[in-house]
Amino acid sequence: MAQIQLVIVTPEKTTLDQMVDAVTLTLFDGEAGFLPGHAPMIGRLGPGELRARVGSEESRYYVEGGNVQVENNVVSVLTGQSMDVAEIDLAAAKAALEAAEAESASSPALAEMKQKAIAQAQAKIRIASKA
Amino acid sequence: MANARALDKRRKSIRNIKKITRTMELIATARFKKAMDRATSASDYTKRITSVVADLARAGLEVSHPLLEAPEETKSATLLVLTGNRGLCGGYNGNAIRLGAKTFEALSSEIGNVSLEVSGKRGISGFNFRDMAVAESFTNFDDQPLYAEVEMIANRYLRAYAEGTLDRLDVTYTKFISVAKQEIVNETLLPLGKIEGAEVVDDDSEASGKTSLYEFVPSAESILEEVVPTSFKIKLFKCFLDAAVSEQVARMVAMKSATENANDMIKMLSRTYNRARQSQITGEIMEVIGGVEALEG
Repeated sequence: MAQIQLVIVTPEKTTLDQMVDAVTLTLFDGEAGFLPGHAPMIGRLGPGELRARVGSEESRYYVEGGNVQVENNVVSVLTGQSMDVAEIDLAAAKAALEAAEAESASSPALAEMKQKAIAQAQAKIRIASKA
Repeated sequence: MANARALDKRRKSIRNIKKITRTMELIATARFKKAMDRATSASDYTKRITSVVADLARAGLEVSHPLLEAPEETKSATLLVLTGNRGLCGGYNGNAIRLGAKTFEALSSEIGNVSLEVSGKRGISGFNFRDMAVAESFTNFDDQPLYAEVEMIANRYLRAYAEGTLDRLDVTYTKFISVAKQEIVNETLLPLGKIEGAEVVDDDSEASGKTSLYEFVPSAESILEEVVPTSFKIKLFKCFLDAAVSEQVARMVAMKSATENANDMIKMLSRTYNRARQSQITGEIMEVIGGVEALEG
């Protein structure tokens, strides 16, 4: 069966480089699925979950945002931080959410930053508690 | 002639020092390899970001972003100097502090309101010694800087830039060019100027033929908004990585020459020691012979 290559890259290292059957990831406005032979695209990611399916097994990762580039049957996810769902520190995520909510939002740029931090923390908490 | 026993004692202590410097050299080598690996894997990300930017540019998007353009008036600047937490690495820290101090003076006379930020204990004490006020200091970066920690600093700069309290950011660090060559440089990170890949616009027809190939979700502009701050963070992270690799190389070289020096010293001391011992023995034999002759006579 045809497969698609999934590469997750963070500035520190390549977290994952694997052939998979299907990828589901969170774009800025909701989830999107990628099957082998997907048309080339560049998309903006939102904080959320990335699911990679091989056969009947599904692995789940948290991705904090960034970009996805699909080209030549390769899905490359460029993100600042990504981790296995099991590695999420729920307490730390909750603390991060509180800290983000306390930030000031006096200008549009600041408000955007605050919004982003809140969304990231919320997504982390949501995914971790779903497991 | 020097006392043979004192010479032997000195030789022993130098042997011990040699053992220490040799071990430090080995440790620095191992750390250098690790830091180098990290720097290489980071370049993978940079490559991919560059290709995204090139694709955006090819799609006919004019690359513009507040971070890329200089503010109308540069009122306040920040200089970040990257040094090591530890010494015993040759001129690494000294050179960074020296260029940092020079740049700081140049910036101060040009802009006026410049704040100095330093990473590394050596740099902090170096600037204290020079009586220069350090606004912010970091000591949490060793041979493997974490992206999350660098990102926090980067976010603070981005926030200050957005607020208008920071108009320019310079970084003084040791750029790693090759194992044999590292260079102290000063780079302006904010405003970003241009990002790599942006200038690859339709110089050949094949590239412009690719234009319609990509679908941008939601739009090329929105993706650019995400990419530009990221590429600033990556640039800053690269500075930290380079500084870490250079520090290990500098320590490796310094400890290697220290070990070689110790070897030379041991050789010299051994020679003097042997001569001293020989002359002591000769002296004793002369005494014995003298005593025998006195008895016979």
